Amino acid sequence: MSTQNPAADVSPKPVAAPPSKKGGMSDLAKAEERLAYLLLLPTLVILFLIAIYPLGSVFYYSTTDRRFASSQATEFVGLDNYQQLLNMTVRELPRQLDEAGQPAVDPDTGEALYARPNEVLITDDGPRYRDVTTFNLLGKRYVLGATDRDFIDATLATIIFTVLSVVLETVLGLGVAMVVNSNFAGRGPLRVLMLLPWAIPTAVSSRMWEFMFDPTRRGFFNVVSQKLGLTDGQVSWLTERAFQLPAMIAIDVWKTTPFMALLLLAGLQLIPSDIYEAADVDGASKFRQFWQLTLPLLRPTMAVALIFRTLDAVRVFDLFQIVLAEKRYSMASFAYYELIKNQKMGYASAASVIIFLLIFIFAVVYMRALGVSDEQ
Amino acid sequence: MKRSKLAVLMSLLLMAMMILAACGGGDDTPTDGDASTGDDAAMTEDDGAMTEDDGAATEDDGAATEDDGAMSGDKQVITVASGAVGAELELAQNAAAMFEEMHPDVEIRLLDSPDLADDRLGLYLQYFETQSSEVDVYQIDTIWPGDLAEHLIDLGPALEEYGETYNISRDDFFPAMVENNTVDGALVALPWFTDAGLLYYRTDLMEKYGYDAPPATWDELTEMAQTIQDGEREEGNQDFSGYVWQGNAYEGLTCDALEWIASFGGGTIVSPEGVITINNDNAVAALETAAGWVGTISPDGVVGMAEEDARSIWQAGNAAFMRNWPYAYSLGNADDSAVAGLFDVSPLPAGPGGSPAAALGGWQLAVSKYSQNPDLASEVAVFLAGPEVQKMRAIDGSLNPTIEALYEDADVLEANPFFGSLFDVFANAVARPSTATAPNYAETSRIFFTNVHEVLTGDTDAQTAVENIELDLEDLTGFEVGQP
Repeated sequence: MSTQNPAADVSPKPVAAPPSKKGGMSDLAKAEERLAYLLLLPTLVILFLIAIYPLGSVFYYSTTDRRFASSQATEFVGLDNYQQLLNMTVRELPRQLDEAGQPAVDPDTGEALYARPNEVLITDDGPRYRDVTTFNLLGKRYVLGATDRDFIDATLATIIFTVLSVVLETVLGLGVAMVVNSNFAGRGPLRVLMLLPWAIPTAVSSRMWEFMFDPTRRGFFNVVSQKLGLTDGQVSWLTERAFQLPAMIAIDVWKTTPFMALLLLAGLQLIPSDIYEAADVDGASKFRQFWQLTLPLLRPTMAVALIFRTLDAVRVFDLFQIVLAEKRYSMASFAYYELIKNQKMGYASAASVIIFLLIFIFAVVYMRALGVSDEQ
Repeated sequence: MKRSKLAVLMSLLLMAMMILAACGGGDDTPTDGDASTGDDAAMTEDDGAMTEDDGAATEDDGAATEDDGAMSGDKQVITVASGAVGAELELAQNAAAMFEEMHPDVEIRLLDSPDLADDRLGLYLQYFETQSSEVDVYQIDTIWPGDLAEHLIDLGPALEEYGETYNISRDDFFPAMVENNTVDGALVALPWFTDAGLLYYRTDLMEKYGYDAPPATWDELTEMAQTIQDGEREEGNQDFSGYVWQGNAYEGLTCDALEWIASFGGGTIVSPEGVITINNDNAVAALETAAGWVGTISPDGVVGMAEEDARSIWQAGNAAFMRNWPYAYSLGNADDSAVAGLFDVSPLPAGPGGSPAAALGGWQLAVSKYSQNPDLASEVAVFLAGPEVQKMRAIDGSLNPTIEALYEDADVLEANPFFGSLFDVFANAVARPSTATAPNYAETSRIFFTNVHEVLTGDTDAQTAVENIELDLEDLTGFEVGQP
């Protein structure tokens, strides 16, 4: 879990970047440079203590089989933990054959029948793969197998969750920000009200949503869907795989859109109003103003907001832990489970390192794609 | 990262405390709300010596501890991490006061631990990881003795030594509980209070539909539940269900499914001898029976229900039968309950050719190996697990004793008339295979309940599920495969 501080990987470079012509520096400049480094020293020491040292220990533990709260001797296992976590395979599922040796179809639906995933995944030699998911490609059916299906499933769930929730939050947040940025009576109170979901602790709002997803007709969603004639009012939303991620995304969007709107509102307020007046004079439509003025000028703010939200979403823990617990993991709640329930500290550390690397990749991609580093 | 931040914070706090304590002069009366860290700092300061001496005291025992005791107002301090659910904290305070009255030189401090078992385990593991002497006596779940054994002392000798004083011996406890808490021959925890799955049934509805006894077999239950459900729905209560239980994918489902399988004669997933027995016809039949309830006598949503979901349906008067723990009894008879006085409990039904089985739950008392005063801590544990305290807790808190004789005690039965019918349930309780599979029980249970849940939701068939459980458990534990 200790890998989750984004400060560790996006930390600013030392601000006192030395000038390029180093040899030509005056004594005064050199003295100033020394002072700058001296003044930076406390920060570096603190950074080492709270970021580099713990991160380093997590890297180290991830190459061992260390058990949490156990006297069992720790052994170096190299990259075994990573191999166990990430080992995957894709295999084709052969068609089932009927008595006549012809490919079989389901007598009721007419759909093709395939072999069970276990039949192709379990072999006498090599690691044992479990099926994560099956999919169709070019008329054939394949199974994705992994040695740790929970981790692969958690990774897929985390990525889907991250992409969908951040996209929705950005779009909705931008809409909300534009509304509360315009002039109307009661704008101030509305801005405060808008922030309410963000102000509620996740632990509380998660529980609230859990009640709404109740599997009986006490639950909001069951009542509504039954009234609309969609279900019989007995849907167990949180245990059905198809509904788990949409539920998580809904909760996160509800909770975090205000935060996104707040950040984007700040960006919108930085845009001077006279350029819109000029655009009006030039006859640009509101639509065009949005695409050609608002969005480009909002880009730096949006980049920061996106990075914030994405990194937050990749390490999502509380939401999954509270609402889904062991039914479905995010990467972080998987690491927690392995550490606390299974006491596999080495294994959990390796999972944490992978979260860290994923966050790192996201951060780099964003910085490149949105040009954050150039502009600041 | 969190830990070292915490360490920095803690050391800052400690420094602040030392300064405060120094300013406060000789005043060493600890206030009630004081965090234990604060007390420690105060003690250290009073002693005049600094932390090194305190550290030395940790290694020594006996005599050194006497001195240690002198530090905090001539008293030896024993810290007990106990539950604070419902009346538990108050009961523990009463018990502590009883002990302190007998031993004026001892002070018992109670550390509230988190209500949720998982959070509690997380907290305990952090204490054990740092070999902390902060807590002497731990209240541990029935599935933890195997996992935590290496941090706990053998309480067998203490039970011999203090048993006579406090009127308790090993044979007084239910044998299944003693066996559950015995790891490699060492009794690492004393059963404190217990739990087991029960069948709750509506006496008024049984009468209305002409049944004179609770169901003895699952088939009877299915038939009765269906009849009552049909009748009640016909009368207009569309939310009425025949049978509610815990079908969510979590530890509770492990308990429920273990009961079905054991009552069908399908074994206990992994036998106490360490043989994986789950792949057998009886287990398959049990799971198929249970899957057949979903959407018929139980609502579809049962696959998302935990204890409290089932209880809220039951307590609103919307179910004929419920599987739950004993705690639902007193709540069901509370003033706000629609079923107060209209229900009773019985052992869970049996499968064909099997006998009723109830999953064993409950909490134990264990003494940490890292305690500065293991001898006194063991005495406290023996006292707390003794008949005097257990009787008080049974009468005042409806907590089920772990001592067989208390189920015949007139005072206990007067306070909890239903305890009498529980004796057979506890006597036949089935422990989850936590001790045999330690330290892999958490994963064992998860493999089990995930696969069972897939059977309940219809995503897989029972035969495939037991095969998968067997294969996964083979990989996890390396145990042999066999029949129950």
